[in-house]
Amino acid sequence: MLFKDAFKTSTRSLTHGKMRSVLTMLGIVIGIASVIVLMSIGQSAQDLILGQVKSIGSDLVIVMPGAPSNGKFSSPASSQGIVITSLKQRDVDSLEREPSITFAVPEVRGQAEAVYGNNNVTVGFTGTTADFFQVSNLSKVSRGNIFSKSDVDSANHVVVIGPDLAKTLFGPYVNPIDKIIHLKGVSLRVVGVLEKGGTGAFGVDIGNLVVMPINLAQKQFLGTTHFNVIIVQADSSYDVNFVKSRITFALRQNHGITDPNKDDFNIQTQADILAILGTITSILTIFLAAIASISLVVGGIGIMNIMLVSVTERTKEIGLRKAVGATDNDILQQFLIESVLLTFAGGIIGILTGALIVGLVYLVITTFFTSVGWVFAFPLSAVILSLSVSGIAGIVFGIYPARKAGKKNPIDALRYE
Amino acid sequence: MIEVNNLQKEYIEQETSTKALRGVSFRIEKGEFVSIMGPSGSGKSTLLHILSFLDRPTGGSYKFLGKSIDEMTDKELAVVRNKDMGFVFQSFNLLSRLTVYDNVEIPLLYSDIPTSKRKSLIEEAIIAVGLEDKIHTEAGRLSGGQKQRVAIARALVADPNVIFADEPTGNLDSKSGLQVMEILEMLNNKGRTVILVTHETQTAEFADRIIRIKDGVVESDKKIVANRHQRNLK
Repeated sequence: MLFKDAFKTSTRSLTHGKMRSVLTMLGIVIGIASVIVLMSIGQSAQDLILGQVKSIGSDLVIVMPGAPSNGKFSSPASSQGIVITSLKQRDVDSLEREPSITFAVPEVRGQAEAVYGNNNVTVGFTGTTADFFQVSNLSKVSRGNIFSKSDVDSANHVVVIGPDLAKTLFGPYVNPIDKIIHLKGVSLRVVGVLEKGGTGAFGVDIGNLVVMPINLAQKQFLGTTHFNVIIVQADSSYDVNFVKSRITFALRQNHGITDPNKDDFNIQTQADILAILGTITSILTIFLAAIASISLVVGGIGIMNIMLVSVTERTKEIGLRKAVGATDNDILQQFLIESVLLTFAGGIIGILTGALIVGLVYLVITTFFTSVGWVFAFPLSAVILSLSVSGIAGIVFGIYPARKAGKKNPIDALRYE
Repeated sequence: MIEVNNLQKEYIEQETSTKALRGVSFRIEKGEFVSIMGPSGSGKSTLLHILSFLDRPTGGSYKFLGKSIDEMTDKELAVVRNKDMGFVFQSFNLLSRLTVYDNVEIPLLYSDIPTSKRKSLIEEAIIAVGLEDKIHTEAGRLSGGQKQRVAIARALVADPNVIFADEPTGNLDSKSGLQVMEILEMLNNKGRTVILVTHETQTAEFADRIIRIKDGVVESDKKIVANRHQRNLK
């Protein structure tokens, strides 16, 4: 039997029971649409996260306290409640002396309640140097100025705040510049309000940021002399990996480390962070797609079930076709084409449905959550995967009923009532 | 053309064996019109199914056009059924949602006849049974007689050597039955071998030879001196 004849015969059978065909496809449609939606949203989230990391610049190197994880992903020591005090001012001084390093910016972080008048809000604050704003690409202010090097050196009681915090504390009509806010009872003069939009290093939302001179933060708020992180900006004429090796050398010297396995700091470049985040988000996407594919299996079983019913219902037809010359393979081919057509058509409808949902999600997020910076992603790989999976599902779930149909004895099939 | 020798068929179901054929022997030559008659349960339908390659015997030999059924694979049997045999069933076995044209086309789907030649063959077969005005009608909408004529058109579309008809008038009124038999008679007159199973004497008499089967054996095998057609001519 020619393939085109088998195809024609199969499409005829499917179109004769339109409602049944549509309902049979539904499982595959839902399964494929779920895979498409979850893979697309996963891709969007990945693009968003990686985009934010990329925005910090490829010449940035992050130095954090604690031993490196040697390629394995683990959360930073600080997030596990472990305080590691290995990064000190002398490290920053050493790094600043390196010709391949443009800036070495230390940071300390804490949390406190910010109060202005009757308004108060709990915020995370950052103590750092004046170079922080340039390195973190946050030098644009909507009002006032960023604080200066002399403010840092003198530990002046000044802060630069994020636009959302300014709105929360001062409302829309009060100019925050030169106003005094209190953090843990310490008076701080607002010298600048950061421009709205954008994110700081590592995608930190700048809306509620409070940035103050590092000396002030360490003495007045934290009572420490170590740093949470040192952000290093490499000279663009040097290779980042070279800079990384120079940092390693300098810090090992400062910390008296001779065994490379006993480093008490870890260095991450943008590429390292992108690789880790890329792996995490990819795993998450695959995980989500795997969950969605359960519905594909359910849909496939639905198709197998209906195909088995169809084979039984059409036993006489099978008998007749065999009587007039159809071979086992001709019958198998016909039923297999039917199941593949069902799953493939289901796959295409599922992709279109998925695309529609992804578009709606994009529309909703970009309309109602403008600050998120959601990116539209509709990965071609998801489409190819969906079409392949739906085609394969047709074969996998269609082969058993089709074989059963092909194996029928013609005379038994003709006698079937 | 057809040569059976000591043909046997035994059905075994749940350790009980039933012998439907107990040693049937005869020859049928090309161009003959043979009726196989017998009471219900005599084994006549079993014999027809074996002769038409729809079933295999459990004993004896059967040669069709000189080739033994035992030497042929299921696939080869299917090819012979498609090329050399046409079938007319008591219950028509049409696909009711397909048109007359599409039903008649079915055997050609499994043949090596090129697509370009099919249309004319289908139309010729439909014209031969006088249903050209119903060519695009769904088979389910036809009367019983018309359905059986479609089945005959389907049986002859691939130009087979032999047409097997299993109680072709069994589900028809006498007028439609007569029309169907006249078509089979016409096909035989044009040189096709027709083998018919019936329990109706009137229908059997369209043939020029009647083989009577009883309890799985040939009870009689007689040539009719002048068949119905020849008698009418006189």
